[in-house]
Amino acid sequence: MVALARKTLVYEWRRFLPAILAVGFAGLLQLLQIALVLGIFGSTSLYITGSSADVWVGFPGTQSVSLGRTINADLQSRILMDPAVERVEPYLWVDGDWRGAHETGGVSVFVSGIDTRADGLMYSRVLSPALRARLAEPDAIVIDRSAMDQLGVDIGQTATINGRRVRVVGISTGLRALGGVNVLCSLDTARQLDSDPSDDGPTYLVAKLRDPAQAEAVAARLRGDTAFGPYTAWSARDFANISVHYWLFDTGAGAGVLFLAGIVFLVGAAITSQTLIAAVNGSVREYATLNALGVGVGALRKVVLEQAFWVGALGLLGASVLGIVLMLLARSQDVPVVLNVTAALACIILVMGLAAVSGLAAMRSLRRADPANLLR
Amino acid sequence: MPATTAEAARAPSLQAENVSKAFVSGNQRTQVLDGLSLSIEAGELTLISGPSGCGKSTLLAVLSGLQKVDGGRVCALGSELGQLDLRALERFRLQHTGFVFQGFNLFPALSAFEQVELPLNHMGLSRDEARYRAQQSLEEVGLAHRMRLRPSELSGGEKQRVAIARALAKRPELLFADEPTSALDAANGQVIIDILHRIARTHGTTVLCVSHDPRLVVHADRVLAMEDGRILSDRRSEAPATDSHGNPS
Repeated sequence: MVALARKTLVYEWRRFLPAILAVGFAGLLQLLQIALVLGIFGSTSLYITGSSADVWVGFPGTQSVSLGRTINADLQSRILMDPAVERVEPYLWVDGDWRGAHETGGVSVFVSGIDTRADGLMYSRVLSPALRARLAEPDAIVIDRSAMDQLGVDIGQTATINGRRVRVVGISTGLRALGGVNVLCSLDTARQLDSDPSDDGPTYLVAKLRDPAQAEAVAARLRGDTAFGPYTAWSARDFANISVHYWLFDTGAGAGVLFLAGIVFLVGAAITSQTLIAAVNGSVREYATLNALGVGVGALRKVVLEQAFWVGALGLLGASVLGIVLMLLARSQDVPVVLNVTAALACIILVMGLAAVSGLAAMRSLRRADPANLLR
Repeated sequence: MPATTAEAARAPSLQAENVSKAFVSGNQRTQVLDGLSLSIEAGELTLISGPSGCGKSTLLAVLSGLQKVDGGRVCALGSELGQLDLRALERFRLQHTGFVFQGFNLFPALSAFEQVELPLNHMGLSRDEARYRAQQSLEEVGLAHRMRLRPSELSGGEKQRVAIARALAKRPELLFADEPTSALDAANGQVIIDILHRIARTHGTTVLCVSHDPRLVVHADRVLAMEDGRILSDRRSEAPATDSHGNPS
């Protein structure tokens, strides 16, 4: 079979370039937008995804990790009684007001009080063992590299949170938060920083299971009991999803993403279809000749659709290469960008859908390929 | 094939009976074909000549099934074209007809060989058969050495020979040519005429050619002169047709 669509695309690449660029940029724009949104809003579940706990126990109805309430500390022994549970540790969340060494005005910080033992579950994926060990010192805190300017401190300097003195003992990466700054310290330090006298228990109890695959089942099992006051349990994955969804949809960011996706689709399809229509019009006499020779309109339509497919595929390839480069660049600058399979798939569907719609639009121009018009 | 063509040649392969066709633009109605009847036989090069606007291209469109008639009947190879729907007409053209147009209408991206092979792919031929036929047709029009070249690398005459090879490779019973020489110089025009004539003779093909090119008249087996949608004269060449070098064919 003579590959008419592909050969024409290669030979007349200048003609098709605008369409490929339009598709590519539409894909790139969408890709980066989704990566940024996922990156920014993904940081709201950092506490979960950066830790190795399989089950989280907290106050019922909690919509995001940052919105927890204290629960009964005695729950710890209740959770440990479950045979599937290997270890449990408390996690203390304290909202703090920061005053740094330099004048920074008010900065709200999210204090995370964690177990500082070497095998502690919280932040085990983002905090180095050395930094974790240093947190055991009284009043020691660790902050993210990206927050140093915001907090106006450097390593070794002191500041106050809720009026109490703390000392920066380490700088970490990957601890960016949304709407505030994450500050890590030991459970003891966090209790000292908590200015609310009514808080007497941990905000969360996090558990490691012997078999992580059991997380859903164990969470469901723990939920059934009410002997220790109000509490509920989630598998780590569910709780992370709840947190991200809360931010994505409560802030309107999700609607923004969809809106921009719509605009990108329309603009991309407008440019791409115009280019493909021009390409069909440029070859309309040749198509008409093929039709005169008996090659069916269906077969000619397939040629146009195949061209649209290749335009989409080439645009996608360009967008992927450029997207990866830009995302690596963003990562190196501590810009939170994250891409998962679902988001990448959504981009691919958007781009190929755009190409398909443009191809269908261009197919209509084939009506002008009437062989009778050649007899003039 | 020449043995069988001797008899087949005398049966009309194309017939028009009382055919009329009009075009309407705005309030203006133009009668292009007016109660026209004719029959054309296989194995001959038939030329329809006449001034521009006389309806000869429309007659070609009607006889080849590219346009429907307003009244009358067109029969091609025993099928009444008016009875066929769009799909069936496409299928009929795919199986039985070849076309050569004034503009060569070659895809810029394809080599001469691919131009010829492309329609064959749609005829359900095997890959090898399609390639064999493409090769053979290009050899027949004398382009064996040029078949890897794209249209931009070919002269006008060569392009028209590729277009003829494209039609010829389908092995059609009917070959329609619309002003095939008018875009070419004398020498190239002559080559094209010879090839068309040879196709009619050696393949027993019905070759119907529309042209106002007077050079063609000498080489046609039959010349129909048209004016105002009617046939004025129907003349058969008395001497055996000769090729451009004066050799009896």
